[in-house]
Order: sequence, then structure tokens, then C-alpha cells
Amino acid sequence: MWGGAAEPADSYYQVRPECTDVPKTRFKIKPGKTLSVRKWQAAFVQEGSLDIGKTLKRIRRGGIHPSIRGEVWEFLLGCYDPMSTFEEREQTRQRRRLQYASWKEECKKMFPVIGSGKFITAPVITEKGQPNYDPLVLQEINLGTNSNGSDFFQQLTSRGPLDKKVIQWLLSLHQIGLDVNRTDRTLVFYEKKENLSKLWDILSVYAWIDKEVGYCQGMSDLCSPMIILLEEEADAFWCFERLMRRLVLTLHIFSIEEISAALGDLLELKLNLLIWLQSLRLLTPNFTNI
Amino acid sequence: MAHRVDQEYDYLFKIVLIGDSGVGKSNILSRFTRNEFCLESKSTIGVEFATRTTQVEGKTIKAQIWDTAGQERYRAITSAYYRGAVGALLVYDITKRQTFDNVLRWLRELRDHADSNIVIMMAGNKSDLNHLRSVAEEDGQSLAEKEGLSFLETSALEATNVEKAFQTILGEIYHIISKKALAAQEAAAANSAIPGQGTTINVDDTSGGAKRACCST
Repeated sequence: MWGGAAEPADSYYQVRPECTDVPKTRFKIKPGKTLSVRKWQAAFVQEGSLDIGKTLKRIRRGGIHPSIRGEVWEFLLGCYDPMSTFEEREQTRQRRRLQYASWKEECKKMFPVIGSGKFITAPVITEKGQPNYDPLVLQEINLGTNSNGSDFFQQLTSRGPLDKKVIQWLLSLHQIGLDVNRTDRTLVFYEKKENLSKLWDILSVYAWIDKEVGYCQGMSDLCSPMIILLEEEADAFWCFERLMRRLVLTLHIFSIEEISAALGDLLELKLNLLIWLQSLRLLTPNFTNI
Repeated sequence: MAHRVDQEYDYLFKIVLIGDSGVGKSNILSRFTRNEFCLESKSTIGVEFATRTTQVEGKTIKAQIWDTAGQERYRAITSAYYRGAVGALLVYDITKRQTFDNVLRWLRELRDHADSNIVIMMAGNKSDLNHLRSVAEEDGQSLAEKEGLSFLETSALEATNVEKAFQTILGEIYHIISKKALAAQEAAAANSAIPGQGTTINVDDTSGGAKRACCST
């Protein structure tokens, strides 16, 4: 018959050998069922529009082959309109990459560790916006260019008191760093320091452009797959941005009662989902129906 | 009804784990309840809890330990989970000064939201990372004395003092409760010596009341 045996997908997301208690993935690449590279390419018609209905049907049946997950997810998360042409999408992509680059530059000006390949895990300022001269902080913000981190503070405070928004943002950066340090650390992927700082950069830029949500513990877990699946940092950022937007949208469409009902008896999950949504400032504090 | 071993205990004590993000609260919890430590542990979202049954002075105590996310913005929500807690383990990281400086904020948090008689133990965690230390043990000790807290340096990784920290908290809670029971007993005895004064307080009721107060409902 066609296809042959199902292939486990573990080799695509390699686990560090010393992490022995990581459960094996239950997902298997099933020939004829899983959306393959060939089927994916065949789903586009001439100009580039995508037959999303047929594609979705296949994805529901057998999942997506790991080698094309990134590009498929871009459509699933709504980064691109399936009806658009190849050319339109390329234009959108380039425009978004520039947009991300300019946001990142904006962040870098405020805090030069952004984009440096390093990240921080201790708060650089106090809640009142005063520099925190802790040795650990000085060490973490020292980019090796000149002397130590005190230059940064001089620059930071030279233009008078900091804006409240800037303070809020700077105060989220070490929290992001603390979580980056413990996101999917069983994966070989995160043995590379540049991947850790990529995750930190994306979440930091996101916290700046979405000040309402900022950063909330748990977001690093949502962002991590995007970085693993999409090579280009800007593309990963936009997937994450769409995901966050969908989350907000979902909360507008469905009531908490409906979401709660869909989760069934998973009480602990429900409780934590509600706490999490509230921490994201997407929910008002008076939820009662857990 | 089915026989359930885990319900056989004399007291149920609810204990909350608090402290800044990344100080090791979840690993302290897993070390105490499952004797496990995970280097790759994830950040906590919302609230998690685990239990362990242990012996204190011949009594079976079920410790129900609540672990919450340390991030500032979670505080407003998770402070509701201090309700009914009779003990707290306030954790900081000995390698991160800021987490120690924040101890006072956590104490304020406890005073605002928890029972005023709550037993508090402060733990300077990650004592295995002595070479990266930025908080001296004496600093921890003197702050604890000043604030009237018990204090230990712990290492969830090396399993140092984690057991002792919880046993100390549980022991203190138990003493408070048995003292209350004793006081009630004496009051009952005093009352019965003076005829016609009020009702006799039943010791069992008192301890039962204390037990209920510790339960999460």
C-alpha cells in the first residue's frame, strides 16, 4: 500500500540527552494523513492563493509535517490571508520585518542589551525609576564596550526622570529573562545562547508595543514554539503577535462560562487559565464562575 | 464510601510559599512533597498545590502547600489564596540581593491578606551557590530576628534544610494550636470551679475549630 509506517517526530525537536524524564511525543508523521511538503505545495494555486479548506481538513486528520510547520502556522495564526498572492505576501512580510526592526531599534535605544545577544535576570531600576547598582545588574548590562554598566545609567538618567511607561517596560525585562532561562530548557535548541536571547528580544519588544498586556509569566511558553519553527526573528515575532491577538479575540467571542465549560472537569487548569487571563489584564477581576 | 488513606490525619495545615519570581519556590515544593528537583522547571502560572503527610509530636499532620507565581502582577490575584493559611515560607535567593530586599514587601503582603497569627519562616534558598552569594547569612538572620521570623538557609537542589524548614513551621503551628487547646481546657476547668458561670468549653470542639480554620474550603 501507499505510505508505509508512521514515523515518530521526536528527532525534529531534539531533547538534551541528560533529560531522561521528558515524555516522548505522541504525534506521528503518518504518510497519506499528515500534511506533507508535497501536499502543502500543491495546495497553492497559480498566483499563490491557498486552498485553506482542504489543507485544514488534512491537518485535522494527521497534523503537519514538522519541516513545514512554521510556514503553515503563519496561515493558521492569520499572519496572511489565504486568498492573497505570493507577491502580496512577500510585500507584507518585508513590511513587517522592517516594522519589527524599527521597534527593536526603539527598544535598543532605551536599553542597549536588546539585540546584543545577552539578556538580564535582575531589575535594572527601582519602581521609582532609580538605577539599581547591584553588582549582578552591572555585570548583566555590561556589554563589554566600555568600562561597565554605569555608563548606561548615566545615559538613562541624563534626560531627567524616566517616563512611567519606560519604567514599566524596563521593570518587565528581568522577569522576561528569568522566564527565558526556564522555557523549554530540555530542548537542544535552547543550548544555543542566541536562541535564548532571541526569545528575550521578541518578548521584550512585544512588551513595549503592547503596553496593556506587557509581559506576563506564561507568555514565554507561547512564544517559544514560534522561535523554534520560524528561523527569522521578525517572522516569529509576528506569529506571536497574532497569537496574542487571537487570544484577545477569543475572549471577546466566547464568555468565560463557555471557555470554562469547554475545559470540563480540569479544575486546576481552569483556575490557572482564569488567573492567567486576569494577569494578562484581559479579564476583569470579578470572575466567579470557575 | 471508599477507604482513603490520605484522609487519615489529625490536622490539615495550609501553608503558602511566597517570594520573588525565580527564587526556587516550586522546587522547594517538589523537594518537600515528592523529593524531586528539576533543573528545567518552568515558571509557575497561577497557583499550584501539593500535599504531604508527616508526623509532628506523634500527631499526623497533612501539610497542604500552595505555590504561587512570583511575578508582581500576579500578586493582586493570588493574595486571595492566603486565606486560611496558617503558615508561610517566604523565600529569597541568596545570589540575588533584590529578592532579599523585597522580603519586607512580602511581609506586608502577608500582614494585609493573611491571618495575623500566621507562622512565618524565611528561607534563603540556593545555598549550594555559595560562590555567587550576594546576601550574607547574618543579614538573613538579623532581618529574621528583627521581624520575628524563623530563618534557615536552604538548598532545594541539594535537599538541605528543606525538610527542616517545613518541620519547623508545622511544629510551631502545632504548638500554637495545642496551647490554644490547653488554654481552653484551663478556662473550662476554671469555669467549672465557679458554679453557674457559662457553658463548659469542650476541648475537642476547640481543636476541631482550629482544624476547620486551616482547611481550604
